[in-house]
Amino acid sequence: MMDSILTPLWLSLKVASTATILAFIIGLFLAWWFAFSKNKVTNLLSIIITIPLVIPPTVLGYYLLVVLGRNSFLGQWIEGITGEPVIFTWKAAVIAAAIAALPLLIRPMQASFESINKDIIQAGALDGAGRLQLLRYIIVPLAYKGVLAGLLLGFARAMGEFGATLMVAGNIPGKTQTLSIAIYDAVQANRMMDANIMVIILTSTTILFLFLLHKWFK
Amino acid sequence: MIRKHSLMVFFIVFLTGCAGSENESETIYVAAASDLYHALTDIGDAFTEETGIIVEFTYGSTGLLTQQIQEGAPFDLFAAAHESYIDQLIEGNAVFEDSKAYYGIGRIAAVSSGGQEIVMDKDYLLSDEVKLITIANPEHAPYGKAAKETLESWGIWDDIQPKLVFGENIRQSYQYVESGNADAGIIALALMNETNLHFDLIEEHTHETILQALGIPVQTEKRELSEQFADFILSRTGQDILIEYGFDLP
Repeated sequence: MMDSILTPLWLSLKVASTATILAFIIGLFLAWWFAFSKNKVTNLLSIIITIPLVIPPTVLGYYLLVVLGRNSFLGQWIEGITGEPVIFTWKAAVIAAAIAALPLLIRPMQASFESINKDIIQAGALDGAGRLQLLRYIIVPLAYKGVLAGLLLGFARAMGEFGATLMVAGNIPGKTQTLSIAIYDAVQANRMMDANIMVIILTSTTILFLFLLHKWFK
Repeated sequence: MIRKHSLMVFFIVFLTGCAGSENESETIYVAAASDLYHALTDIGDAFTEETGIIVEFTYGSTGLLTQQIQEGAPFDLFAAAHESYIDQLIEGNAVFEDSKAYYGIGRIAAVSSGGQEIVMDKDYLLSDEVKLITIANPEHAPYGKAAKETLESWGIWDDIQPKLVFGENIRQSYQYVESGNADAGIIALALMNETNLHFDLIEEHTHETILQALGIPVQTEKRELSEQFADFILSRTGQDILIEYGFDLP
């Protein structure tokens, strides 16, 4: 029984962490861009980035299946390079989770960048601070809370991702069966004990994250 | 600099973490129709005991698993609830043609969520006592299709529409009845094995025979092991377990 809980838990942590790192790298860049240059391109991009937040996860999964599937251009291209399809692997789960987490990562980071008073940066620059110094002594201290909030929200969302993951990564024990999919499976199989333990783990992790978030922003 | 390094190491450990720890060569991944949940898990245990080869199962509706295998899902063996899906995969060049084998004939039963003895006939299903009836989705689950055919042959398919709830697969439908959320259902007999719910076996002539077949997906890298497990399902031991769970032999 322990294996049927620990394996999905480990896989969920692996998928969610990798997805968060991936989304963080892309998200940080986009949040910066959205915050400091407002034009038609960034406005449009900003809307596109929000889509995963509002469409049903299964629809997101369907799009990903079409884009990354074995019959798609991108899917075949990746398969040509790596020698194996990307769908139905844990990497597909990472892609699904990263895209689902991206809007939640970007919004708080963008807001915190936007809240930095431009005059302060300019004043610093005028006094002769270099770019790195500006980053270290002005931008980071003023924005780190928003960045942390984005990271936490993104990670929590990636941990809980279900619909899109099931579509593109499937439900393969030990390979792609994440915690939320294992819960779904356990309930169907009437393994209520397993389901209950996993539900408690998932719920308490989420609450812990919300608690941390709350604490930091007090 | 140190931070950058540790992030890289962290990343690499994550990326490689899984590959090293799993003993891949000794495990086969089997996709199986939901009706096989108890029976095939038992057969898998017996197989592991005899050969040391570990079998990991993914249970789902036959239609969904067929779709995923067609898209390249990495399964080494597929046990479908109906042979037509294996044929479809052979046609799509996703399953080896010579690997197709019949392993059992499925039966369905009408089940009620209450423990009491009730005649599970059409009158009961139409009565006010029954508010919700569940069957698996006939579109992609062979047991759902058989249930639909039975309800049609009883002449109540149209009348029963407002009460019907589709399970994504037959295991989910069973779960609806077991948890009392549906009053009745038409479920795979093989799932009734570990239950104290009241059920009536449905006569075979009311629906098309649920002739179940398996096949080996072409992308498997463990064809020999898959064949070994397929042979085991078809062996005396495997077939005895299937009979125990209410399957007929083809």
